[in-house]
Amino acid sequence: MAVDRRRLPAVGLPAALRFPAIERETLSNRVRFWTVDHHEADLVSLVLLVPSGSAADPPGYEGLAAFTADLLDDGTRRRSGVDLHDELGRIGGRLGTDVTSDATVLSITALARHARTALSLLIELATEPRFDPQEIERVRALRISRIGQMRRVAAAVAERAFLRSVYGTRPYGHMPAGTQAALARVSSDDIRSFHAAHYVPERWTLIAAGGGDRAPSRELASLVAEAAVPASPAGAAEAVGGTAVPRPSAAGRLTFVPRPGAVQSEIRMGHLGIMRRVPDYPAVMVTNLVLGGQFVSRLNLNLREAKGYTYGARTTFEGRRDPGPFTLQTAVDAAVTADAIREAVREIREIRDVRPVTEEELAVARPVLTSGYARNFETVGQVTHAATRLALFELPDDEYTTFVSRVAAVDARAASGAASRRLDPDALRVVVVGPPDVASSLAAVGLGEPAEATVDEFFR
Amino acid sequence: MPAEIPHVKVTLDNGLDVIVHEDHNCPIVAVNLWYHVGSKNERPGRTGFAHLFEHLMFEGSAHHDSGYFRPLQEAGGTLNGSTSADRTNYWEVVPSGALERALWMESDRMGYLLPALTREKLDTQRDVVLNERRQSYENRPYGLASMTLMAAHYPPDHPYHWPVIGWPADVRAATLDDVRAFFATYYHPANASLAIAGDVDADDAIRAARAHFEEIPGGPPPPPVSAPPPEAGNRPSALLLEDRVESPRLYLGWVTPRLFGPRDAELDLAATVLAGGKSSRLYRALLQDRRLAIDVTAHQYSAEISGHFTVVATAAPGRNLAELEAVISAEIAGLAADGPTAAELERARNLLEADAARQRQSVGGFGGRSDQLNLYNVYVGTPDCTEVDFARYLQATPEGVAAAVRAELGAGSRVALSVVPAGRVDAALPGSTPAETA
Repeated sequence: MAVDRRRLPAVGLPAALRFPAIERETLSNRVRFWTVDHHEADLVSLVLLVPSGSAADPPGYEGLAAFTADLLDDGTRRRSGVDLHDELGRIGGRLGTDVTSDATVLSITALARHARTALSLLIELATEPRFDPQEIERVRALRISRIGQMRRVAAAVAERAFLRSVYGTRPYGHMPAGTQAALARVSSDDIRSFHAAHYVPERWTLIAAGGGDRAPSRELASLVAEAAVPASPAGAAEAVGGTAVPRPSAAGRLTFVPRPGAVQSEIRMGHLGIMRRVPDYPAVMVTNLVLGGQFVSRLNLNLREAKGYTYGARTTFEGRRDPGPFTLQTAVDAAVTADAIREAVREIREIRDVRPVTEEELAVARPVLTSGYARNFETVGQVTHAATRLALFELPDDEYTTFVSRVAAVDARAASGAASRRLDPDALRVVVVGPPDVASSLAAVGLGEPAEATVDEFFR
Repeated sequence: MPAEIPHVKVTLDNGLDVIVHEDHNCPIVAVNLWYHVGSKNERPGRTGFAHLFEHLMFEGSAHHDSGYFRPLQEAGGTLNGSTSADRTNYWEVVPSGALERALWMESDRMGYLLPALTREKLDTQRDVVLNERRQSYENRPYGLASMTLMAAHYPPDHPYHWPVIGWPADVRAATLDDVRAFFATYYHPANASLAIAGDVDADDAIRAARAHFEEIPGGPPPPPVSAPPPEAGNRPSALLLEDRVESPRLYLGWVTPRLFGPRDAELDLAATVLAGGKSSRLYRALLQDRRLAIDVTAHQYSAEISGHFTVVATAAPGRNLAELEAVISAEIAGLAADGPTAAELERARNLLEADAARQRQSVGGFGGRSDQLNLYNVYVGTPDCTEVDFARYLQATPEGVAAAVRAELGAGSRVALSVVPAGRVDAALPGSTPAETA
């Protein structure tokens, strides 16, 4: 029977989201060991959370946390880096060493039949890295070269300049990779001290999920309890100091980084945003979707679909342990740089008062986080990383289960409240990385005289 | 071997293949639609068209002429599409209760796109695509390398000669008439394959697919693609590109057997032995033992007409690409002579198996189970060939890998591309000819 094309089919009620149960225990070595009740026949996912990331880099040593993490798989007391990777390959394992501002997250996904080996490897490289001086020099040279590579990527230049503009020299003001000069300064003692202070097992949360049947958690737990002996007599590091919130100065709101020969301008704008734990997190997420967090956002429909300035434009609020950045990002045809900035600032300004979020817009935005929420917990890696965020941000056990109803409760008033509390057009910092001839058009966008910076300031 | 994907398949009277896979673990369902058309179906002077057309598929159709995203996002769905040389795919992942709506939207643009098409939509998406080209290729370090390599592998009239994103002049020249003709030729049920995977009942899903797609008339098979054989020997085998890059990078490329062709799997294994992980041969030789490079990758890209094997490495400071080339050639020669060790072969197999299992965890999206079913169905004609596919890896022998490397990765058929910082021609392979870029 043919379908009625006069109207869209109605949508059935979505199933209620149930985040899988987490079995938590604290082992004799004080490791928090969590087993998530999610099964995947072929794969196991293991995540080791060390709650220290690049925000723990000492001033002048930007990049130390990531450098340390990078060295973990280049040899342990038991075996060389090559032997370690041979073993990882044998179990079909992929190792992740992900360093963000707040955390170092080590993970292995591997064939489920090799779960024990995967866990042993993960613990071995976290507790027994060799930090061989020759390997340190080799990896240092590699990382310095790779930072050099990033100098040529317009988006990487813009991102670094933007963080600097918003945070200055505060802990969130640099990328985890750091700068070339800082990496050159790091000694092997610095690396050993960082590891000894931050990687102690009593600071870990170790999360496991996967395998066909219920994960053999008892067996794995005893393995963790035996293997992860504190590597150093030093106790857990002092909790990383809070990111004292910088107060941007009135000058230098607009930074221009010339990039000769560029055919596009890479644009970042934004300001200080939110902590992940803020009570209005659901309202901020929904408001951001309307503003720039989805394809049909105001920003993307304007800059891409109406004007054809860009392949895409979006905004994000990155919730961190301390206030993370609110960022608007896009790359536009260089000829329309000033127009694109004006339009973007206008969108941020108008959603606060002139054109507040409407119920109609909410009807499109909320479902991303309500009926669509379940798809964020489909794979074993998604589930273990979701559990990792519970641990890192010290969120309540029922965070994901209650999230949908808290989003559903966000109405136009709540969204408007979030927009006026969390967006501040007068505090915007703007970075443009583009061809030199764009500079002359920037003074007229209403953000004051652009301050010119060089690429090297952010990498060297 | 990764788990097989249980399914049912029916072919509607209009020629549309419908494949359904049930999985009730997560309350979502994936809709994945392949059209067997890509940039290989274009002709010189009209390149970039398949991809530009993909953009227009999101701009509304006759019964819903206001943008494709909104009704699906309102239902909690996510969606995307992509174009390759061989095929164009579109997918939605929606809560189980929104399957009908996803099928309604997909069928409306399959059946009724043209009445809603306007010059304004074409003009805007043309600008969006030109910005996509700037962002992803022109303004990105090494961004023009892959298309330069492909252009060097194939003569100008070969369907893999031009890039999927197209030559900018061609994208600017696209007309509404081109769009109409393209739609009529390629976007009909007999040239498409629909996979539905996830929290659905198979009978219900097939019934819903019939209700939405059966009314759309099938069309004749699209004209065959003619692919002249790559001409070896009479084109430069060493090319040079000056770019806004920090370090010189070497691309070595070979035209190899097609997807599922002879030696395709052995070349996958060879690529993993050469550069899969930090204990691979090239990683050790280039980044650990001699520290000549800061990264190295190797891949067998398996496409429909032919495959492409590439080795890519970036020079460490103070090194030139001739030094890298010597090491890479020696490692390839070593693999050609002796093959991998038994332990290397086991590792490569397990890594490829685990990678496939990781991809197949999701029912939807790029590389998920619904996409995999369509890939097998469109290129092989059977929706799940997991067993046959992975038997190739299980049966591969060290000698078979060595033989594939000998047969396919010879120096005579190789194209080398040096991408160097402007003014650093000295870092390129000696004897390289400047490449033309568009």
